[in-house]
Amino acid sequence: MVFSYSDSVYPIRADFGEAHRAYWHELARPGCWWNGAERVAIAAAVRSARDCGLCAERKQALSPNAVQGEHAHAGVLPTVAVEAVHRITSDPSRLSKAWVDGLAKQGLSDAAYVETVGIVVAVVSIDSFHRNLGLPLEPLPKPEGGEPSGYRPPSAEPGEAWVPWIRPEKASGSETDLYFGMARVPHVGMAMSLVPDAVRSMGRLSEAQYIAPAIVAMPGRNQPGRALERAQIELVAGRVSALNECFY
Amino acid sequence: MLLRESGAMEGRVFDPRAVTDASVASGVPFGEELVAFASASVTGSEAELAQHREALEAAMGVEAMVDAAGVAANFERMVRIADATGIPLDKPVAVFTVGLRQELGIDAFGAARNTPKVGALLAALGRLGQPLARRLMAHYAGRS
Repeated sequence: MVFSYSDSVYPIRADFGEAHRAYWHELARPGCWWNGAERVAIAAAVRSARDCGLCAERKQALSPNAVQGEHAHAGVLPTVAVEAVHRITSDPSRLSKAWVDGLAKQGLSDAAYVETVGIVVAVVSIDSFHRNLGLPLEPLPKPEGGEPSGYRPPSAEPGEAWVPWIRPEKASGSETDLYFGMARVPHVGMAMSLVPDAVRSMGRLSEAQYIAPAIVAMPGRNQPGRALERAQIELVAGRVSALNECFY
Repeated sequence: MLLRESGAMEGRVFDPRAVTDASVASGVPFGEELVAFASASVTGSEAELAQHREALEAAMGVEAMVDAAGVAANFERMVRIADATGIPLDKPVAVFTVGLRQELGIDAFGAARNTPKVGALLAALGRLGQPLARRLMAHYAGRS
């Protein structure tokens, strides 16, 4: 069984394993814009970015654009997608709208980009959990067959982000469940809604790794079953965010 | 903001500067060990991470250490979602956190350029209205 944390030296809550297994299952299946093999290749590229010489060189440069080159990859993904994965993984604080627009000009649509973001952030996070506990990384799943759905939510529209999103009042039909019934949703909750399943995955992972989305905006509210108080959780969250230069 | 307001809800005062300056005492129970572990998670070698993992486990117990590992991992994700999609701060949050952002120095972060500057009048109102922050957050949670 994947993510068999019962074998770990640490007593890891069952919901961690459930959330991580669910994501691995989802990762292997066709998404909206990438097939299973491409989605797993995106996950593999996340892991490659950790030891990528080009990424390391760019990270040291005053501007990432000052260093030209291509990242090594297995050829499953278009080069533009590999570039997106590596930059989001290794140098996120210097991304720009011009860079995202440039990806689009090279053929990476806004929706395919958002699906890519969703995969990158989930894999970074799950791998980080393993690293934090000194556990080996889980082998990537075997891709499932099938074609991407091509689904683009009709209610997505341009907003304050670089990519279109679904506002809470427009989340109807297939997207009724998207925001857990919250009347107002912070921007980070809406950011990936051009690919609704990316938002759903975010909610499931957040509930296991952090707290349930519905109580995020309720300071002082503790999540049952946690060994950390809310303030302790927010201190860790704030420190990790600050070191990553997260303004949001 | 969530750290400060979590303290306020419990009648305690926590110092949010601890997130940008590890030498500042947060006032949060076991804050020093939690900050050291979180720091090692982002910037430390495997050996440093192991050292702070063991220290946190010794201080708080293994379940708390595992929870902290999960939270740290989760925020490696959240920062990339925000940075890769260019989202600005939600407008009311931008207004009410002007003073806090200046205090923490986070207006200097590159991604700050995605949030429009708050005008002087609104910034002053935001400082005066900080006690309303909890009500604002409840509003955002759809409970108002």
